[in-house]
Amino acid sequence: MSKKDTYDMFEMDGDMEKKKKKKKVNKKEKMEGMKKEIDIDDHEITIDELEMRYNTSVTKGLTSTFAAQVFERDGPNELKPPKGTPEYVKFARQLAGGLQCLMWVAACICSIAFGIELAKGNVNCFDNLYLAVVLIAVVVVTGCFGYYQEFKSTNIIASFKNLVPQQAVVIRDGQKNVINAYQLVVGDMVEIKGGDGIPADIRIITSQACKVDNSSLTGESEPQSRTPECTHENPLETKNIAFFSTTCMEGIATGMIISTGDRTIIGRIATLASGVGNEKTPIAIEIEHFVDIIAGLAIFFGFTFFVVAMFIGYAFLEAMIFFMAIVVAYVPEGLLATVTVCLSLTAKRLARKNCVVKNLEAVETLGSTSVICSDKTGTLTQNRMTVAHLWFDNHVHAADTTEDQSGKSFDQSSETWRSLARVATLCNRATFRPDQEGVPIPKRLVVGDASETALLKFTELSVGNVMDYRDRFKKAVEVPFNSTNKFQLSIHELDDPLDLRYLLVMKGAPERILERCSTILIKGQELPLDEQWSEAFQTAYMDLGGLGERVLGFCHLYLSEKEVPRGYRFDADEMNFPTSGLCFAGLISMIDPPRATVPGAVMKCRTAGIRVVMVTGDHPITARAIAANVGIITEGSETVEDIAQRKHIPVEQVNKRDARACVISGGQLKDMSSEELDEALRNHPEMVFARTSPQQKLIIVESCQRLGSIVAVTGDGVNDSPALKKADIGVAMGIAGSDAAKNAADMILLDDNFASIVTGVEQGRLIFDNLKKSIAYTLTKNIPELTPYLIYITCSVPLPLGCITILFIELATDIYPSVSLAYEKAESDIMNLKPRNPRRDRLVNESLAVYSYFQIGAIQSFAGFTDYFAAMAQEGWYPLLCIGLRAHWENVHFQDMQDSYGQEWTFNQRLYQQFTCYTVFFVSIEICQISDVLIRKTRRLSVFTQGFFRNKVLVSAIVFQLLLGNLLCYCPGMPNIFNFMPIRVQWWFIPVPYGILIFVYDEIRKLGVRRHPGSWWDQELYY
Amino acid sequence: MAALKEKRTCGQRCEDFGHFVWNSDEGKLMGRTPEKWVYISLYYVAFYAVMTSLFSLAIWTLMYTLDPYTPDYQDRLTSPGVMVWPDTYGEEVIEITYNTSEKASWMKMTKILNEFLEPYNDTKQLECNNYNCTKGKYFLQKHFLGPHHTKYSCPFLQSMLGPCSGFEDPTFGYNCSMPCVIIKMNRIINYLPTNRTDVAPYVNCTVLEEEGNVAKIEYFPENGNMDPSYFPYYGRLAQPSYVNPLVAVRFSLVGGKYAKIQCRVVSEKISYENYHDPYEGKVIFHLKALK
Repeated sequence: MSKKDTYDMFEMDGDMEKKKKKKKVNKKEKMEGMKKEIDIDDHEITIDELEMRYNTSVTKGLTSTFAAQVFERDGPNELKPPKGTPEYVKFARQLAGGLQCLMWVAACICSIAFGIELAKGNVNCFDNLYLAVVLIAVVVVTGCFGYYQEFKSTNIIASFKNLVPQQAVVIRDGQKNVINAYQLVVGDMVEIKGGDGIPADIRIITSQACKVDNSSLTGESEPQSRTPECTHENPLETKNIAFFSTTCMEGIATGMIISTGDRTIIGRIATLASGVGNEKTPIAIEIEHFVDIIAGLAIFFGFTFFVVAMFIGYAFLEAMIFFMAIVVAYVPEGLLATVTVCLSLTAKRLARKNCVVKNLEAVETLGSTSVICSDKTGTLTQNRMTVAHLWFDNHVHAADTTEDQSGKSFDQSSETWRSLARVATLCNRATFRPDQEGVPIPKRLVVGDASETALLKFTELSVGNVMDYRDRFKKAVEVPFNSTNKFQLSIHELDDPLDLRYLLVMKGAPERILERCSTILIKGQELPLDEQWSEAFQTAYMDLGGLGERVLGFCHLYLSEKEVPRGYRFDADEMNFPTSGLCFAGLISMIDPPRATVPGAVMKCRTAGIRVVMVTGDHPITARAIAANVGIITEGSETVEDIAQRKHIPVEQVNKRDARACVISGGQLKDMSSEELDEALRNHPEMVFARTSPQQKLIIVESCQRLGSIVAVTGDGVNDSPALKKADIGVAMGIAGSDAAKNAADMILLDDNFASIVTGVEQGRLIFDNLKKSIAYTLTKNIPELTPYLIYITCSVPLPLGCITILFIELATDIYPSVSLAYEKAESDIMNLKPRNPRRDRLVNESLAVYSYFQIGAIQSFAGFTDYFAAMAQEGWYPLLCIGLRAHWENVHFQDMQDSYGQEWTFNQRLYQQFTCYTVFFVSIEICQISDVLIRKTRRLSVFTQGFFRNKVLVSAIVFQLLLGNLLCYCPGMPNIFNFMPIRVQWWFIPVPYGILIFVYDEIRKLGVRRHPGSWWDQELYY
Repeated sequence: MAALKEKRTCGQRCEDFGHFVWNSDEGKLMGRTPEKWVYISLYYVAFYAVMTSLFSLAIWTLMYTLDPYTPDYQDRLTSPGVMVWPDTYGEEVIEITYNTSEKASWMKMTKILNEFLEPYNDTKQLECNNYNCTKGKYFLQKHFLGPHHTKYSCPFLQSMLGPCSGFEDPTFGYNCSMPCVIIKMNRIINYLPTNRTDVAPYVNCTVLEEEGNVAKIEYFPENGNMDPSYFPYYGRLAQPSYVNPLVAVRFSLVGGKYAKIQCRVVSEKISYENYHDPYEGKVIFHLKALK
């Protein structure tokens, strides 16, 4: 139970929920309709009725003219590409984020202020206009940058699309034609054979050993046989419908097209996916929250000083302009660029690790993810049947299931193994496709069904050169597998030319095989198959079956030379040879094994406090076995049913809270209300959902989101696409993934490696932490930029800091350092922390803003004013004289204004003195910001622990900042272009003590935070 | 998560805000208990007290290092500015416009000049600057020989302006078309307008536009000289009664009675071609007499 609290669900109060629900009902009704199960009856009615319905003939197909009419009516048989967002909308979206809106508003205010000034006849005041232009330029430039980033990753994704047009064999006017699949219409008769893609939704009319791979639609890893009989009322479950976009693995079939294009099951799922709204990313929410704080503070400050200005006696219009200027000064112009650049840096870093991010903001989302809903087939598993276990000599042996055969193999010295391997090799119809010598065995293409393929590869790996081996044992006769006798046998000559016996080898359903055996092979000895061995077999069979594996039994028999001499005419139909009294060799079980990297990745997610939930279309037993295998269900976790079994009590009496694990199938899920589902998700930390439909996947994701989690969905199939879209971040597989999944996803794993998600989580968390630092750094200087103006208004000193200078700080010197914080290494092992609580751990919280603004920002302001007063006093203007000087100082007509020493100044001399002040204030902010960027390297650790020079980018950023500062100050021509003056060298050093103070103060703060976690100090000063 | 994304109504927002202002469940006022508010306020009071005292200390140190007689740097005052009186501005430029037939108009000008010349009043000057300077050379003083530890300043008498002193003609010529203007050069501590002592700086006025309208330009004192004995200036503390030397210029307006005039203080060290400061070393004004 102590583990219970590992997963926080960040719940919200219930009554909020209800209020919200009432409102949303109408909007959601339409979506809910979509989420209902698919309802058709084409699979239930007879073929005659079907012919009537679609006006066709099973033998002759449609007439060409009628087909043309239907084509006219229904349109081409292809999925309408999801309505791609027009490029200009994508671009516009880049201009409409939270921060962008703030900047737009600020630009408007600036223009208004400029308008007022202009109307007042103050022609010299172009600062406001510049500011407005710069603000708009920043938004547009960063918009272009973000758009370019997304455009690039969209291109990477688009390159995956398969452009080869599909062809289909169709019967029209009684003749077979090969036409492009998009020309097919409802009622067409089509022929399919192994290897073909299914061109539309087809009702099977005739079939011969036809099997289809439904994994992308339902998540079942095993090929499903298709027969003309209706076996289930649910169209997804019945065997007489083959679905568009699935593949026929083997056999042949003919069928009638019952729906085409977007009306197919796949088409509906795709429509469902596009109907699901995109969720706002957590980082977008955080930025909005941050903008709220900024806007609130700006208006508060602006209003306060508006009142103060009115009180002091300024005219209303003047006070209004002050108000606007303060509001605008609060806008962190550089922050937008910083955030965009930081995010794209991480996106780039992720791309190098094979995670392509479609939407920049999604970079952070993985970091705050608290639940990963993972598809099984193809995501957690290899989507390839592989031999997992063998049972012989009364022992279960584990085979190597890793993709690259790096795992441990079993002991192959036993005689029994040799016999078993021989049966497995010979009793197998699967063959390798030619010309694959260079390909590693597990990756080779095979003709044959999944389990035979698995056995072929297994024997090729363990015995070697199967094809030769088979040639040596010439095949005399073969009885293929059928569903009535459930076995497959073949009879071979022996490779020893002197031994004229025939060898009968047989494989099949274990219980059927056992029935036919009278002896069992143990350590090469044939022992009679008595009760004891039967029981051992049963146990092994149950164990392997319980692992969700498909078990096959193997046996053999040497046919005696007397009864069956050479040249005996075997008859496969009559079976004129002994088929009982065989010798049991062993069991081989197969599974679609998990990818090698998955268990480790799941474990890492677990230590990172992320809950991994399996949501699959596959069967519960297989799902559970894989879940246990990869660690989604941990060792020792029990389901309610397990507890009931162990305690011998009915399921109803079990306390549901005792069960950590829970397996819910689609059927059960259908009968659960959303409250019950929430309850189940809350009570059981380890969840597996099996046999789920795409709609149900969506419901599960919604339920997790309702519980306050940030949900990541990983998947590859079409059936995952609605859930991928709904999730806070959808992660699709790049190689195995279907286009639908890739379109719906926000992130694509190019190497299909689930472990890349862990990298994504790590990078996401790191960027969240580092963005926090960047923002803290960027916000701090807002105060030393604002206080000069406040003092200017209230104390009427000559303006200490100009608008253009502020823009240079925001957009030139401080951009690089704030971006360099994105390169900062994590302070602690972020992968051992819980995911952040989206309701409590905000990107910008009160203590961050308050600490940056009112402490560090305040110190910086003091530094600026010290330097300002020093520059004024040393040039002849004492601090006391400065106060109240503004009206005269700014009087353009006052050419002989006396300073404290009695010297007389013209207006322009005073103006250049004012520029000197700007520069001095600028230099002070720069010096303090160097100290600031150093303290922002860590939030908790001492900077000495983190290392001063470990972040090379940051070091170069500081150098860059100083060089740029020097360039601005000392480049000729600057005074008249950008109002920078070549200042005296010693004024660079006046703010240095304040910089040291900032550093020391923050070290003390961090020390307190480390020493006394949870204390008042920690609460107030840790951000 | 979902709740964070919902657009909330104004009512809910207000309710939330109300809850924030006073949270009765936890007894929190604006997110903190009153006790916590006291702590944090005290912390900030202490923080700002320390910061303010550090700042005050810094300013005190700064003031302590300053020389009360001369500023540390005169980076902006490389060359003195020049200004003209009456300093009446039009839109952007100095426009000395008066109406000879309208008493209020020219009285305004004479009033400005009288006020400007008040410190130069002969009796006043002889009273506070009663020191006999040697004309024709810089009045360099190494030591504080004046009363109350000061340095002497040379008197500049209003009467030295001759016809433009206002003694002979209290209207300064503004009741006719011969107006007087007074040119003053800004004072800069320790500034010497020339390296040599024999050539005094002098005012030279040129007509930039409408040359034909100016018949004659006369300078008072003679040649428009500023006597070197008024330089250098030692600052307010050393020379509390220092007055800048003045030059009066009388224009005889004829014809259209309008001219654009530039008056420049000519001396080798005074620059006048600074594009960015039109008042450096020279002053340009429009002079216009109306009927």
